[in-house]
Amino acid sequence: MTDIAAHLPAKRMGINWIGLWTIIRREMSRLMRVPTQAFIAPWISALMFIFVFGYVVGTRISTIGGHRYIQFVLPGILMLNIINASFLQASSQIYFQRFMRYIEEALVAPLSYVEMIVGLLAMTVVRSVVTGIGILLIGMAFGATALSNFAEFLFWIVAVSVIFGLLGIIIGLWAKNFEQLTMLNIFFITPLSFVGGVFNTVKMLPPMVRWIAWGNPFFYFINGIRHSMIGFTEAPELLGAGLTILMGVILSLLVWRLFAIGYGLRE
Amino acid sequence: MTPAVLISDLCKTYRGGTVAVKDLSMRIEPGDFFGFLGPNGAGKSTTIHCMTGIAEPTSGKIEIFGIDAVKDYREARRLVGLSPQEFNVDVFATTTQIIDWMGGYFGMDSALRKRRVDELIERFELGPHANKRFRELSGGLKRRVILARALVHDPELLILDEPTAGVDVELRRDLWRYLQELNRDGKTILLTSHYLEEVERLCRTIAIIDGGKIVREGPKEDFLRGDGLEAAYLAATGAEPDHIAAGAAA
Repeated sequence: MTDIAAHLPAKRMGINWIGLWTIIRREMSRLMRVPTQAFIAPWISALMFIFVFGYVVGTRISTIGGHRYIQFVLPGILMLNIINASFLQASSQIYFQRFMRYIEEALVAPLSYVEMIVGLLAMTVVRSVVTGIGILLIGMAFGATALSNFAEFLFWIVAVSVIFGLLGIIIGLWAKNFEQLTMLNIFFITPLSFVGGVFNTVKMLPPMVRWIAWGNPFFYFINGIRHSMIGFTEAPELLGAGLTILMGVILSLLVWRLFAIGYGLRE
Repeated sequence: MTPAVLISDLCKTYRGGTVAVKDLSMRIEPGDFFGFLGPNGAGKSTTIHCMTGIAEPTSGKIEIFGIDAVKDYREARRLVGLSPQEFNVDVFATTTQIIDWMGGYFGMDSALRKRRVDELIERFELGPHANKRFRELSGGLKRRVILARALVHDPELLILDEPTAGVDVELRRDLWRYLQELNRDGKTILLTSHYLEEVERLCRTIAIIDGGKIVREGPKEDFLRGDGLEAAYLAATGAEPDHIAAGAAA
């Protein structure tokens, strides 16, 4: 056994913490190559929403549940950004590793599937938390929002970013080209998020179509974060949190299974 | 003695039905310098990919120093370093990052990684290129980075898939010397190459694969008897040596 081999983790390896941290710092390095796209873009977008809904259109709309329209809308805008950031982060991370084949560096290393998945998700959560807190601070600076429960706020950011990170991993593993990489976003994420109560309450919808909102998971994500910020809710928060955790567990098991069979990873 | 590599009845069929390797069995002794030859598409890289986790074997068993490379893959991977045929790196990362990250994946702490990265950068004369992005390097420098990456965790088994393809004569000879040093220090090396001179010079044991099967295997001396390695290779792969082909054409 050589000097270096003797310093490597013991034969029966537990968690490869250094390997896991390497996945994270490597992705951090990749992310820092595009800071404008990763962080500045969603913050500027939030500023524009605050300007339009706070000072242009919002002043002509009556309050909702005692809140100004911008206060009602901003949590939804924040959640849309979290969803986009986490999905893009995870899907592009895995897709580019496959596309440029440097996923093989992780495959030939003593990393477990769980370590690889956790590493991918960790940066997704970091990006989402930074994006979300940035938008929150911008909103607070302009008096456009508040924060009634920080722990609940953090729960929603982390839980939703994990869910969309997992969905991003699935799409990143499945996609054969850039077109396919964007499909979930175009046909699923954007439409469902727009009818998930970002801009309106369920009561504003015609009674015939209200069931769409109740059956739309995005409604619970937006409702949850809105409750954590301004205390306004249209559904029991625990129901939303329970459904979100259940989704997270199901998607985690699915992603773990895909890694175990090498779907999209191994030849 | 536990073999460095023991492959039994390995089969690999890709999605779509292409059979790349069928019933391949092979044994590499610890400390051997093993030449793995065959025409393009014969199954060399697929066999290597199955050994290292890049491909999933369809059936059969692979053991690395007695450890099952599929069931106990994490333990097996610790012992193997791979320099692949194609550049599978983040082309926007720097030389230092590429080697350092690989050390991190193998669980090396930061002090050990720093020492080892410095050693390898010096060994492969990559100092002036340490902070250059991979995409900015020439072909020969890229090959050196890939080799340094494969060696970062000081593996017991080094798998080199055409390591000198596209490399100039000086680097090739320098690399040969380095590989011989490593082998003298007890490292087991599996080398695939289309340069028969390289295999003849470095390897002690040779196996020839064709159509996904080992068609000939043995000590180098056996291959050198008669008309030499090239003739033995052509005979084993069913190709006709030049002088026979020329005679037939006349």
